[in-house]
Amino acid sequence: MSLLASSPTVSVPARWGIFISTQSFFALLAFVLLAGCGPSVNRYALIETSLRAHNPKGADAIVQSAEKEYGDKSRLLYGMDRGMTLHLAGDYQQSNAVLEQAEEELDRLYTRKIRTETLAFMTNDTALPYEGDPYEQVLINVLKALNYAVLGQWQDALVEARRIDHRLNVLSDRTTEKNAYRDDGFARYLSGILYESTGEVNDAFIAYRKAYEAFEATRTWSHTPVPSQLPIDLLRTAEALHFTQELSGYQSLFPDARWEARQALQELAQVVVISYNGRAPRKEDRFLDIPISLDALQLVLLNRGFSQSERNRGVDTVMYGLNGQVVRVALPRLVPQKTHVPLDRVSLIPDNGTPVTVNTELVHNVTALADKALSERMAVITSKALARAATKHAMAEATTRGAQQAAGKDAGPWVGLLVGLLTKGWAVASEEADKRSWQTLPDEIHLARVWIPPGHYRVQPSESHDALLPETMRTLFLGPGETAVLIQRVMP
Amino acid sequence: MDRGRVGLLVLTVVLLGGCAQETKVTRVDSEVVTDLSGRWNDTDSRMVAESMVKEALGYQWLNNFSSSKHRQPVVVVGTILNSSHEHINVNTFVADLERELTNSQKVTFVAGKGDREELRTERKEQAMYALEETQKAPGKEIGADYMMKGSIATILDEAEGTKAVFYQVDLQMVDLESNAKVWFGQKKIKKVVEKKRSIF
Repeated sequence: MSLLASSPTVSVPARWGIFISTQSFFALLAFVLLAGCGPSVNRYALIETSLRAHNPKGADAIVQSAEKEYGDKSRLLYGMDRGMTLHLAGDYQQSNAVLEQAEEELDRLYTRKIRTETLAFMTNDTALPYEGDPYEQVLINVLKALNYAVLGQWQDALVEARRIDHRLNVLSDRTTEKNAYRDDGFARYLSGILYESTGEVNDAFIAYRKAYEAFEATRTWSHTPVPSQLPIDLLRTAEALHFTQELSGYQSLFPDARWEARQALQELAQVVVISYNGRAPRKEDRFLDIPISLDALQLVLLNRGFSQSERNRGVDTVMYGLNGQVVRVALPRLVPQKTHVPLDRVSLIPDNGTPVTVNTELVHNVTALADKALSERMAVITSKALARAATKHAMAEATTRGAQQAAGKDAGPWVGLLVGLLTKGWAVASEEADKRSWQTLPDEIHLARVWIPPGHYRVQPSESHDALLPETMRTLFLGPGETAVLIQRVMP
Repeated sequence: MDRGRVGLLVLTVVLLGGCAQETKVTRVDSEVVTDLSGRWNDTDSRMVAESMVKEALGYQWLNNFSSSKHRQPVVVVGTILNSSHEHINVNTFVADLERELTNSQKVTFVAGKGDREELRTERKEQAMYALEETQKAPGKEIGADYMMKGSIATILDEAEGTKAVFYQVDLQMVDLESNAKVWFGQKKIKKVVEKKRSIF
C-alpha cells in the first residue's frame, strides 16, 4: 500500500497498483506546486544588521543556528560563511578550524557523484554540492593565513601561503584561456607580505613579482590597479637580494618609486591593515519562459514574458502547468551591492609622539571577480538549463499520456488534466538557478602596510565609516621587526 | 509474492536502513600503517624519526666524542622548521626524535627549550616555598654538547586529480661549541594520491 493512501472517498485505480485518494492527490499537488514559493528568511540581511550593530558574535550565531538550513549540499558554503563571521568576531582559532574543514570538504568534492548529477539534472543545480568559485576557494586560504598571522603563528600562516601558491598553480594549469581568472594578485601580494615579515625575502620577492603580473593581467576586468605600495616592495626586496638586473628593470618601470632599505625597516615595526569594505554581490533568479505553441506564446506575453524573481511563482506554476506548453529556464543573475566608501582609514596613536594615519587602497574587487566567475560559467549553465527544461517537458508529456491511457476512457480526460498540471507544473516550479555564493565576503578588500617606531599604540578606526574593529585590536604593542595585522569591517 | 509481502519487505528494508552505523571505530595496533588522505601522519613521523636517529647514532662523530671525552655526548633537540604545505604537528615529530635518542642509551638527552623554562620556574618556586633540604639549586643544569635541528619541506605536483607529494626531512647535528655540523641526515618520502573524478 502506498504511504500516501488514506481511506479513499473516490479512488483512482491506476495500473501500477497504487491507490491515491482525490484528497491526497490535491494535497500532494498543492505541496509540489507551491514548494519553494514560501518566503524564506534572508539570513544575510540578519548578519548584515548584526555587523552594523557592531555585534559580530551575533552574526556568527545566526550562521551557526542556520547550519541545518544550509544542508548537506552546502556544507562548504556553511564553512566559508562561518569562517568569515568567526574571523570578524575575533575567534581566529575557531575560524581556522571551520575553514580547515571547509577545505577538506572542497578536496572531497573533487569527486563527483553521478547520481547527484543526475538528480540535479532532473530538478535544478541547487541539488549539486556547492563547490565555490575558484576565487572563493583561494580566499579560504587567504582568510586562514590572516587568522594565523593575527594569532602570531607565522609559520602556520606560511603554510597557507604555500597552499595559495599550489592552488593557483593548479588553477593556472587547468585554465587555458589567457584572460580568465588564473592567478590572484591580492592572494599573491598577501603571501609576499607574510614571507617578508618572517624574513623569507626570496619567497617574498617571487610572490610580489607574481602579484604584480597578476594585477597587470587582470586589470581590464578586475578594475583593480596595481597597489601603489607593490612597486616599492618589489624594489626593496630586489635590492635586499642583490638582484641587480631585476632592480634596474623595476627602476626603469617605476621611475618615481622611492623605497627604504630593508635593513632600515627592520629597526621599525610593521602594521598591515586589512579592511573588508561593503557587501559581496548576491544572485537572483532570472526566468526565461519559452512558449512551444501559439496560445502559450500569448500566455507568456500576457505574463510579461521575461519575468523577474519577485513574481509570484505559484501563480506562474499553476498557469503554465495548466497550459502545458511553456518551458521554463532559470538562470542566475548577479546583483552588485557596491560600497560607497572609496578608501578606509585607521589612525595609530602612540603614547607619545605624532599619530600616524593609514589610508588603505583597493587590492581585491570581489564583485568583479564574482561577475567574471559567473560569466565564465554562463554558457555551461545555460546549455544545461535548456537541456534540463526540454527533458522535463518531454517526461511530463509522456507521464500525462501514460496516466491518461492507464485511467481508461471514463477517467482519462480529467486524470490527464491533473497529471499534466502536476508534472508540467512541477517542471516549471522546480526550475531554479543556483544562487549560492559566499555572501559574508565584502564587496572589496582594502590593504595598507606601514612601518612605525616600536612602541605602544592605540588604534582608532575612522569614525565616519562606522568601521568594526575587534576589541583585541584596539591596542598594539610592537617591538622592532614585529608585524601586527589589523582586521576591520567597513559597512557601506 | 503478494502485494502485502512486498510491502512488508520494503518496509523492513526502509526501517533497517536507518539502523546502519554511521560511526565505526576499530582499534588497531599503533604500528599499523594507516594512509587515509596522503597527508603527513603518525606513521611518517615515527618511521622518519626512527630511521634518522638510528642513522645519526651510527656515524663516527659519536665514537670520536666518546673516546676523546670518556663520556656520552649530551644532545638537545632544537627547532624543527615546518616548511611544508601542511600544518604538521612538529611537536609530535620532536617527541618521536627525543624518544629515539633517549632510548638509544648512546647519548644523554637534555630537555628542550620549552621544557627548560618550566623546570626553571619550578626551581624558582622551590626556592621560595619548598623545605630548604629538598630545594634544587640553580646553576646545575647539564649543558648540551650537540643540538639536533632541521626542517620538514614538501614539493607538491598536481594534475587531473593525481597529486604527488614529496616530503624531505633534513636533520643536522651541530656542535654547540664550534658550530661544526658533525652529521647531516636526509629522509625522503614520496606519496602519490589519486582521486577519481566521478563515481556512482
